Amino acid sequence: MLKFFTDAVFLSYSQIFFSNRKWFGILIFLAVMVNPLIGISSLLGILITNLLAMLLKFDSEKIRSGFYGFNGMLFGAGVMFYFEPSFYLLGLTLIFIVITFFISAVIENFFAVTLNLPGLSIPFVITTYIFFVFLGKYDFIRFANLPLYHGPVNTAEGFILNYLQALSLIVLQPSAISGIIIALALLLFSRIAFQLSLLAFAINALAVNILIPDPSPNFIIISSFNSILTALALGGALIIPSKKNLLLVVLSIFMVVIFTGFFANVMNSVALPIIVLPFNFIVLATVYSLKFRKDHTELTLLYYKLQSPEENYYYHKNRRARFDKFKISYPELPVFGEWYISQGFDGEYTHKKDWRYAWDFVVVDEKESEYSSEGNRFEDYYCYKLPVISPLDGMISKVIDGIPDNDIGDINVEKNWGNTVIINHYGGLYSALSHLEKDTIKFKEGDYIKKGDIIGQCGNSGRSPYPHLHFQFQLSEKLGEKTFQHPFVHFISKSDGGLKLHLFEYPEKGMRIQNLETHKILKGAFDFYYGRKFSFACEFKDKKFIEEWEVKIDIYNNLFLENGSGDIAYFVQAGKVLYFSAYSGNKESALYFFYLSAMQVPFCYHEDLYWEDKYSPSELPKSALYYIPEIFLLYHDLIDVNARFNFAPREEDSEDFIIEGNIRLEGKSFAKIFSEEFRSKINIGGEGEITDYEFEINNKNKFNAKQIFNDEETK
Amino acid sequence: MSELKRYERPIINKQYSGFMNKFGTSPITTPKTEIDGIAVNHLVEQFGSPLFVMSERRIRENQRNAYRIFKTRYPKVQFAWSYKTNYLDAVCSVFHSENSWAEVVSEFEYDKARRLGIKGDNIIFNGPDKSREALVKAIRNKSKIHIDHFDELYLIIEITEQIQMKAEVAIRINMDVGVYPKWDRFGFNYENGEAWQAIKRIMANKNLKLVGLHTHIGTYMMSAEAYRIAATNMALLTRSIRDEYKHLLQYIDMGGGFASNNTLIGQYLPAEQVVPSLEQFADAISSGLFSLSFSAEDLPLLILETGRALVDDAGYLITSVLANKRLSGGKRALIIDAGVNILFTSFWYKHKISPAQECGVYQEEAAIYGPLCMNIDCVRESITLPSLKQGDKLIIEHVGAYDMTQWMQFITLRPNVVMVMEDKSTELIRKAETLEYIIERENLPAKFQKK
Repeated sequence: MLKFFTDAVFLSYSQIFFSNRKWFGILIFLAVMVNPLIGISSLLGILITNLLAMLLKFDSEKIRSGFYGFNGMLFGAGVMFYFEPSFYLLGLTLIFIVITFFISAVIENFFAVTLNLPGLSIPFVITTYIFFVFLGKYDFIRFANLPLYHGPVNTAEGFILNYLQALSLIVLQPSAISGIIIALALLLFSRIAFQLSLLAFAINALAVNILIPDPSPNFIIISSFNSILTALALGGALIIPSKKNLLLVVLSIFMVVIFTGFFANVMNSVALPIIVLPFNFIVLATVYSLKFRKDHTELTLLYYKLQSPEENYYYHKNRRARFDKFKISYPELPVFGEWYISQGFDGEYTHKKDWRYAWDFVVVDEKESEYSSEGNRFEDYYCYKLPVISPLDGMISKVIDGIPDNDIGDINVEKNWGNTVIINHYGGLYSALSHLEKDTIKFKEGDYIKKGDIIGQCGNSGRSPYPHLHFQFQLSEKLGEKTFQHPFVHFISKSDGGLKLHLFEYPEKGMRIQNLETHKILKGAFDFYYGRKFSFACEFKDKKFIEEWEVKIDIYNNLFLENGSGDIAYFVQAGKVLYFSAYSGNKESALYFFYLSAMQVPFCYHEDLYWEDKYSPSELPKSALYYIPEIFLLYHDLIDVNARFNFAPREEDSEDFIIEGNIRLEGKSFAKIFSEEFRSKINIGGEGEITDYEFEINNKNKFNAKQIFNDEETK
Repeated sequence: MSELKRYERPIINKQYSGFMNKFGTSPITTPKTEIDGIAVNHLVEQFGSPLFVMSERRIRENQRNAYRIFKTRYPKVQFAWSYKTNYLDAVCSVFHSENSWAEVVSEFEYDKARRLGIKGDNIIFNGPDKSREALVKAIRNKSKIHIDHFDELYLIIEITEQIQMKAEVAIRINMDVGVYPKWDRFGFNYENGEAWQAIKRIMANKNLKLVGLHTHIGTYMMSAEAYRIAATNMALLTRSIRDEYKHLLQYIDMGGGFASNNTLIGQYLPAEQVVPSLEQFADAISSGLFSLSFSAEDLPLLILETGRALVDDAGYLITSVLANKRLSGGKRALIIDAGVNILFTSFWYKHKISPAQECGVYQEEAAIYGPLCMNIDCVRESITLPSLKQGDKLIIEHVGAYDMTQWMQFITLRPNVVMVMEDKSTELIRKAETLEYIIERENLPAKFQKK
């Protein structure tokens, strides 16, 4: 309860700077306390707002994150900033804090429902205006006239002072000391955020000089802090950071300056302060307009809960590398054994234009020849009359049969698809298998079939000069429908380097590919069905502990592993591959190390099988090393984390399988000196259980865990 | 000076009038001077004559082709190398490196496979003779024991109780698949219900785990259809076990027996024209197995114990002409240095035999005899060959299967065996026997020993 309470208080402070760290909030709290009156008033604002929200049973997670508190805080601080304290003012403030809360609730809901936008600090602005207008009749409440700015302008010293002043004004503090604390907090929280604040300040100064004739110091300072907030929001908090964000930030600051001028003129006439109006206006307008683009690959809006800009960046990068390709259907290759792609996407013969996303399957021998002897008889072709199977469950929606094979080298352009089966896999996905052998199709229209059922045999009918299988995904049951780009859930390709596992990828021309064959021991070990429980005896850094996990499911049908202390690792079982998708929680738990070690595990075994994956630097064990490349993150991504997994050679007579992982963090260009290495090892016993696993950090710290089997489970 | 023109002695050939033999194979005129790119002369110089030559490349090609052919027709396939076909370490190792398990039929073969590092559960233990010691070993190593008869079943039950371990077993099943001779001496009969009796016994015993079914319908099978019938029966049995006991078998072992491209004695047409292709065998077996109504995940593994068809044409025997003779009837005879003691298969095959050097165009019918001073030592009753001199070399092809296991030390010593490796190097894989090697096992009673 106390934790919830302090979280709710301090995270309210963090929210103002788009941070989600409690310590950050504590620093801001200290910065606000530089002027104790303002500090206490702001704390009052938070307390009352949160109390009210709790009393009225608003979403406790939102309360905890400081979502309601921060507008109350701003208002509390604002009152003491603009007005001289008195008891009457205090009473009035208490009432207005309540008003702030209700306006927050209204604005939040309205913005979320109608515009799908955050409310930012608009509630604070509205309440402040109401307060100002309301007080217009009361002459006994006097303006405090705290100076916005006191110092030289066009010197280096003035420049720094000005910057600090702007920072302190964000939390309505008149003293530059607050600014020092805030700048420090920003630097510690995020190198990107700190740089953005500096950049915003500099660009703002430039823009003001260019755009505003003879600007007053007050004007400069107001547009400065609006610019800084805008840069924080658009540079990395609400939009995933990238080089493009810099451009956006520069443009936005020019707009902020213009809108500060605009609001200054408008508000002056009604004697209201501008406060954070320009920031709110520009950020909301920019974010809103960005929602209506067709392509969201650049300047991607934040789609995950708020983290630091660095974390946002890595999360997004990792997600793109790992999940963009994920689909909800899990089709497998439509053949048994190893086949060869003789024509892939955008092929040189027929896979063009509307039909570009198709594959031609043939079988080749060691020398990559498709036939034995002369190749002038059907029987010479290895793939001739081989069974072709359904890639997924479905219903036969069209069967075309009765077209005889062409002689080798001839094509039938009249019935160019040849004998074809089109299968409806539900959910809009269809697959078409063409050039089948006449009279070999085993089903009729309307039959229900399972994944792996034999549909017919490979032949040479239609526009097929030599026997092959044409396979495509499409979106209707029409014969000759244009192709639809859809990957196979997984397949294995063979090359000199061994067998490589592919997940949600597209076979390419020249690949030798095959389906995965489930190995019951591996499947047994990694089949994390709902309710399965594990218990591990662990050792890390001279600590010994026991950790228990259970497989649970959330309301969106996402399966996850949860340990006793609430750490969570989400996973997907994509066909015959276990795939971890996210981890949140303590970075020294057994579950965390398992998440890193078992990021991707296929349920099949081949001696020389390997698979690769990408990690986000932010999910690796903490290291001071990452800070340096983070400084340059806005301009250039200097870190890549690549992982490679394989099966260790099996011990003679051992029934165990060992999965070895090598995760390497590597710097690019001048950051090459940064590298870290992590090794993982999972032992799978012959009974189909994970017996133990270990994770080694830079050849030093080693985590290891052994599964504890109780009698009930081993039976 | 260029080489002198080769002398050929004159031949008188009797001319026949009438119909020509429309099936006759063209007589061999093109000599085979090298094996996998290595000159025969070179091999003989290095390793002597006679000489067995195995081709690594050919074994791998055969195994990969066979795997491809079955794997593209049925999703789960495993080959197990039939040790008795050729159990030279080097040959077995090539197969194992192509992911083949081991199929053994004696304790000796079992130990040989283990010596090569084959995991216990990757060994299939077949055959009617398994000693108690061998069974204990197999049970401890979790090898797959294919039970041949009830007495063996009882013995296994007894052992598992004694050593308190579970055994992974399968039963061998014989059945009528419409071919002659009917093999019913191995395993339990399908038609008379004996097989089902055995299954019931096994399922009732807590120490036995029925993991598969095995059949082996014959050897040098010329009919693919027989395999379809066998596979269908095995599938039916597997399904009955599932329905009756809710027990899924891990595998169905279809044995081996596919014919190779060696022509049998008494067979009129050459083997290439009458032997079904591996594709046809695979089609037959997979279509039989698919009569199982199993989901793709539950389909049992198909195990194949193919031996002959994978190794026969990877073996060559180089032999030298010792003498030319004229038999009493005027027929020519050749005496070569390889006899039936090392070429056991000549009792049933008409091997392809070609000269290993340039020779003349005139051909004559001849008989080929081995070097043994025994009347049975006839390598070939009749073959058309060009004239050959003493010291000329012949290559006998398709001798990779059974010759190097069924050969015997008789009158002469067994020769070197070399393997031409994929990189064209040659490795001696079995040294020729010596007198010391033979007498090392002998023991001369003291009273005969010379002082």
